[in-house]
Amino acid sequence: MSNSEGKAVQIVMIEDDAGHARLIEKNIRRAGVNNDILAYANGTEALAFLFGPDGSGESSARKHLLVLLDLNLPDMTGVSILEKIKANEHTRRTPVVVLTTTDDEREIQRCYDLGANVYITKPVDYENFANAIRQLGLFFSVIQVPETK
Amino acid sequence: MSGNSPHLLRVTYAFAAAAFLTLVVLVAVSFWLLEKTSSSTEDVLKRRQQRTSLTRLLSAVQDAETGQRGYLLTGEQRYLSPYLSAVQNVPLRLGEVRNTFADSPAAKAAIEQIAVEVNQKLEELAQTVQLQRDGKIADALAIVKSDRGKDIMDVIRRHISERIDDVEAQLAVSAAAQRENAALARWFTLGAGLVILLAALGATLTILRYTRELVAARAEMEQLNAGLESRVKERTADLQRANDEIQRFAYIVSHDLRAPLVNVMGYTAELEAGLGTLSALCDDPKLDELASGPGARAAIREDLPESIGFIRTSTHKMDGLIKAILKLSREGQRVLRPEPIDLQEFFQSSIAAVQHRLNESEGQAEIVGQLPVIESDRLALEQVFGNLLDNAIKYTVRDRKPKITIRQRPSLWGAVVIEVEDNGRGIAAEDAERVFDLFRRAGVQDKQGEGIGLAHVRTLVRRLGGDIVMTSELGKGTTFRVMLPRKLPEKRNEQ
Repeated sequence: MSNSEGKAVQIVMIEDDAGHARLIEKNIRRAGVNNDILAYANGTEALAFLFGPDGSGESSARKHLLVLLDLNLPDMTGVSILEKIKANEHTRRTPVVVLTTTDDEREIQRCYDLGANVYITKPVDYENFANAIRQLGLFFSVIQVPETK
Repeated sequence: MSGNSPHLLRVTYAFAAAAFLTLVVLVAVSFWLLEKTSSSTEDVLKRRQQRTSLTRLLSAVQDAETGQRGYLLTGEQRYLSPYLSAVQNVPLRLGEVRNTFADSPAAKAAIEQIAVEVNQKLEELAQTVQLQRDGKIADALAIVKSDRGKDIMDVIRRHISERIDDVEAQLAVSAAAQRENAALARWFTLGAGLVILLAALGATLTILRYTRELVAARAEMEQLNAGLESRVKERTADLQRANDEIQRFAYIVSHDLRAPLVNVMGYTAELEAGLGTLSALCDDPKLDELASGPGARAAIREDLPESIGFIRTSTHKMDGLIKAILKLSREGQRVLRPEPIDLQEFFQSSIAAVQHRLNESEGQAEIVGQLPVIESDRLALEQVFGNLLDNAIKYTVRDRKPKITIRQRPSLWGAVVIEVEDNGRGIAAEDAERVFDLFRRAGVQDKQGEGIGLAHVRTLVRRLGGDIVMTSELGKGTTFRVMLPRKLPEKRNEQ
């Protein structure tokens, strides 16, 4: 994964299940993606990283980020994180990939309405799950990530 | 309605009976009093006649005496005529007195006494008048002077006066009796009128109370009816809510169960991948040189693959179960779309969908008679009857060609009853209810399945507003009877 200026893209993974996080990381790596993966197990820590200690989002300025977001988090819903990312002027261009178990149609529509770029339902069985993540990794390897403002 | 009403009715009847009885008594007593009054009136009349006849008798005797005296004084013939007419009159008057006193035996003796005295007086008068006529005036005056005539006259006067007093006394008694009767009649009429009035008032009040009770009872009943309807609505809404909650619960739980399972399966795969690397090590002859070599080879070749195999089958099974729960809860959340469905066509295409499987076992399926058109959810019906047909083909008896019959059964309450009959292996009586339970199966476990088919079918049929029952004989076959409403109940649509 790269950007137009050759700067490294960081993948921000917000996933509360440590096992899932590790499996996602492994399978992304297997697809040949070697970018940094910053894993956060809850929404609060992830938001602290994305918007900085002052909460302005200034800290994420001039970075190349891609967010991998689970909707079922212990402290808040992924939807509210998505809402905050897309509402902040510094992070609103950051691609957000929603990767979750929920396949409720209204939830999917809501995420796209809020500006999610991709919505993927985690497959139930492992083979499909691994396969999906690997394909996501391949997708990551060709995607262009804009710089944050 | 309260149990008070028969009592109130009885009270009303009692009032009416009392009023009627009082009226009858009033009429009888009035009649009796009238009779009594009329008899005492006759009595009064009779007394008056007695008094009049006595007075007239006295007057006639006095006339006779007056005539005698005039004749004796003057000696003229013209003074004699009053005497003569009076003398003629007296016996008539006496007869009158006798007549009027005819039914008064107590006075008879006194009357006869008076008659005797009157006759003596008439004799004395006649004697003096005769002496005068004969010119013996001195003799006549001597008789008068003897006071005999005056004495008799006094006696007559006294006796008649006594009689009159007696009659007057009796008159007073009769008049008093009459007054008494009138007073009695007045009081009695007043009393009876009061009783009738009270009875009428009582009856009216009772009827009013009864009517009020009826009205109140009707109002209460209407209120109860309305309350009942709203209670039924409330309960239905409660049930619906509870049902929705259970479905959401099942959905959430199965989703949350899935997440750790993905880890178990994922890391089992990782373990397997690692084991692949290790098994290359087993082929290295250098391994035998190590003391732990044979043990490590056995672990890599046998123990670890076996463990991983069990983990895999177990997770696979659990995955199937979670999928099943998810499917059931998702099915429950799906909005039903009612549409007219021609069951004849519907079953023809259902049979066509399983025809290749029937052909494999040389089986056949047929529709007996004509099936109706109903309004229901097509997808749900496809799942229900698809499951039943699938079971009928799946659970057969070896060496018996499967035969499936679909027919409509007459039903009582305007529903449509569809029967799916097979000649398969049947279900034992003790398993009859169990087959509809989730994850429960019956008979020999020689076929693939999770035990959700019939649970799913029953959930669906009930959601469609119907029900399913089963009759079966082990080894002979099974008949499923699906009752469906002709029209989808509205409440189910609203969700």
